[in-house]
Amino acid sequence: MAYLLSRLRGVGALAFLPVLIVGVVLPSPVMGQDKPRYGGELIFPVPSEPPSYDGHREETFGLIHPIAPFYNTLLRVDPRDPSGTKPIGDLAESWTVARDGLTYTFKLHKGVKFHDGSEMTSKDVKASYDKIIFPPPGVGSSRKGQYEVVEALEAPDPSTVRFHLKWPTASFLASLASPWNFIYKADILVKDIHWYETHVMGTGPFTFVEHVKGSHLVGKKNPTYWDKGKPYLDGFRAIFISSSSAQVAAIRGERAHIQFRGFGPADRNSLKASLGDKITVQESPWDCILLGAINHNKKPFDDKRVRRALTLALDRYEGSKALSKIAIVKEVAGVQVPGTPYATPPEELAKLAGYGKDINAARDEARYLLKEAGAEKLSFTFKNRGIPMPYEPLAIWMIDQWRRVGLNVKQEVIEAAAYYSVLRKGDFEVAMDFQCGYIVEPDLDIYKFISTDKNPANYGAYTDRVLDDLYVKQSRATDYEERKKYIRQFEKRVLDAEAHYLMTLQWHRIIPHSSKVKGWQITPSHYLNNQLDAVWLSE
Amino acid sequence: MGKYILKRFLLMIPTLLGVAVLVFVLLRVVPGDVVELRFMSGEGQFADPQMLAMERAKVGLDKPMWKQFLDWMWGIVRLDLGVSMWTGAPITEEIKLRFALSLQLAIMATVVATLLAIPLGILAALKQDTWVDYTVRVFSIAGLAMPSFWLGILMILGFLVIFKWLPPMVYTPLWVNPWQNLAQLIWPALAVGYRYSAVATRMTRSAMLEVLREDYIRTARAKGLWTKLILTRHALKNAMLPVLTVIALEFAFLLGGLVVTEQVFNLNGLGMLFVQAISHRDYTLTQSLVLLVAFVFIFVNFLMDLLYGRLDPRIRYR
Repeated sequence: MAYLLSRLRGVGALAFLPVLIVGVVLPSPVMGQDKPRYGGELIFPVPSEPPSYDGHREETFGLIHPIAPFYNTLLRVDPRDPSGTKPIGDLAESWTVARDGLTYTFKLHKGVKFHDGSEMTSKDVKASYDKIIFPPPGVGSSRKGQYEVVEALEAPDPSTVRFHLKWPTASFLASLASPWNFIYKADILVKDIHWYETHVMGTGPFTFVEHVKGSHLVGKKNPTYWDKGKPYLDGFRAIFISSSSAQVAAIRGERAHIQFRGFGPADRNSLKASLGDKITVQESPWDCILLGAINHNKKPFDDKRVRRALTLALDRYEGSKALSKIAIVKEVAGVQVPGTPYATPPEELAKLAGYGKDINAARDEARYLLKEAGAEKLSFTFKNRGIPMPYEPLAIWMIDQWRRVGLNVKQEVIEAAAYYSVLRKGDFEVAMDFQCGYIVEPDLDIYKFISTDKNPANYGAYTDRVLDDLYVKQSRATDYEERKKYIRQFEKRVLDAEAHYLMTLQWHRIIPHSSKVKGWQITPSHYLNNQLDAVWLSE
Repeated sequence: MGKYILKRFLLMIPTLLGVAVLVFVLLRVVPGDVVELRFMSGEGQFADPQMLAMERAKVGLDKPMWKQFLDWMWGIVRLDLGVSMWTGAPITEEIKLRFALSLQLAIMATVVATLLAIPLGILAALKQDTWVDYTVRVFSIAGLAMPSFWLGILMILGFLVIFKWLPPMVYTPLWVNPWQNLAQLIWPALAVGYRYSAVATRMTRSAMLEVLREDYIRTARAKGLWTKLILTRHALKNAMLPVLTVIALEFAFLLGGLVVTEQVFNLNGLGMLFVQAISHRDYTLTQSLVLLVAFVFIFVNFLMDLLYGRLDPRIRYR
């Protein structure tokens, strides 16, 4: 009855075949070295602190970095995959997908125990996902909207979980590999559904020791971890350090091994210069990007010629060369992170407005469009968020680029905490916007651009039903080539034909870490690979 | 005396109330709230309006402003500061965690400053317009010119480059491991204490110079009293009044004002908590911290006024 698409861990659904190919093509410099060594405590600074311990509710990496090691999820992203897009089983040993794509059945590992000694069963998985997808009144679930496709889930026996979908979708396995979807104990959730906001108790490779607020959080090895032989570390210590100079000093002074979010190029260079071979640097395109939100409610930005001129004026290739030396940006990208399955290849990307290699021709076109729209020598205010890196250098670069086509742009910097209020109220002409994903997946990455009435986090304030339709089509296309086709159409419409939004440069993630740290692979997401089960210290 | 103390305590109430109204209104005038920051920035594009409304109700932001204020005031009357809007933890717990570190650092910096400032200030006054005076003045002006956090950064870089060493990153209470505790706190205490001493040194010098020119000092000298006795019994006691005021006010400031220095040395103190609370738009925590710092300032002022009476017999309390 069920059509077997995958059997054991490491085998994804057919829709993810290209993912596997990418996984082979991209080099994996860190995994698969030497024989893991047991022992040691991994110390890492975390730039922000978890407001609560509930992954289903929170949105900050400040939760994922110190808390993920205490939990398992149903699926996870392969920690050896540098593209960070390949789902593999975590608590799920294998899974099958029905031929119509509407039923996903997962078989769970047996013998998995919670840290309190009780056995983990499908009842716990169901209760956790019920809390995420169908939260009862008074319970916050930040990513509930990502699971609209789920009609129901059931636990027919202790080692089986079944999801019933309303329509087939290509992204379902990826969304189950979300690092936020910790599996909690059903009995606890029944007694107090808020318990996990203030307590930590999972099935993960480490058990909770202590959290001193504002200072540090400690975990120690789970001696009865179900994945035999793991973890390698005796424990870990997350130190909360908000100042980036203090984080760099901690690595430089060998008081910490690694910081999982990322440092700037200058910090990488200074660490490498002072510590030499003691430092290993891993780099990757980062699934975060600053965007130019163009307010369609403000004239003349309701005119697509003006919007197109704004993107045509940007010399992204030269910008990349200059800015990557001083800021955490680098790759020229469309709506997908370069090097991932649905990313547009460079030669195709170059056909979009603002991505051509001939900047003079692009700027001539920009000037022509502005003249035609009656917006020659247009003056406007560009609102920017008061965060130095990389908002400040990128804004200065954009303003300079616009000046070259005759635009006169003034920057207004808004305090970081007040910024989203300005965007939400539409109190801007053009503003810096931001998007960051926990996994590279078109459903998550391009949702930002659908009409504002469907996604209020689209601050461009436009309605584009063609775009909305393309979003739905790509999301429901289970064939890789078909989905790719819709994503390309979507990209062309949002960045070129309508120029609704403009992309700056993809962020670039730089992790300079102690060379003692082994078994950790950088990915485009700073939310991934924090379970620490495969990480070990060479001395 | 008892009547005076009671009167001063009662006068604290309207002052603190004024501070409370001011901070309550100012916080709410600034755009953005804790829920928006927590659930709508970053990858929060999937947060639905119902959830945001529910979270706002949970932290009391759905209530009218006057009700929020009255709730807060009623809590204070019952000595209940409420819970942090960001973490949901009791505010007293959040403050207690950081208070020990901030208090210890303030005391250590005050000791460093006093040990430097008073002898140097007296010396500079006694040796006015000599090379000793000039050296002390250069030393104190340098302290005023250098921000303590900058001195802290230099210290850390110096340790890293020269000794390949860094102070511990995590606070250990004095009673748990004194060595570890001092290894972490002595450096910020020196950085802060130096700047603090610069102010006090200059104050000690000028106060001493003024007192040394007084008639009663001349009389004491004419009587043939020992210089040491003149200085300690007559000059220093009178010169100390403004110096103590400066030291006391700086001490109050140190309890909540070492924002950047705490970041440089990664100290989990009240200054850092202050910044986090403001940047998270954690109204309840920010309000309580402002009120705490205001209370410390008022209380220290009150103690200084009492001390004035002990040091200067001309002062009478009514």
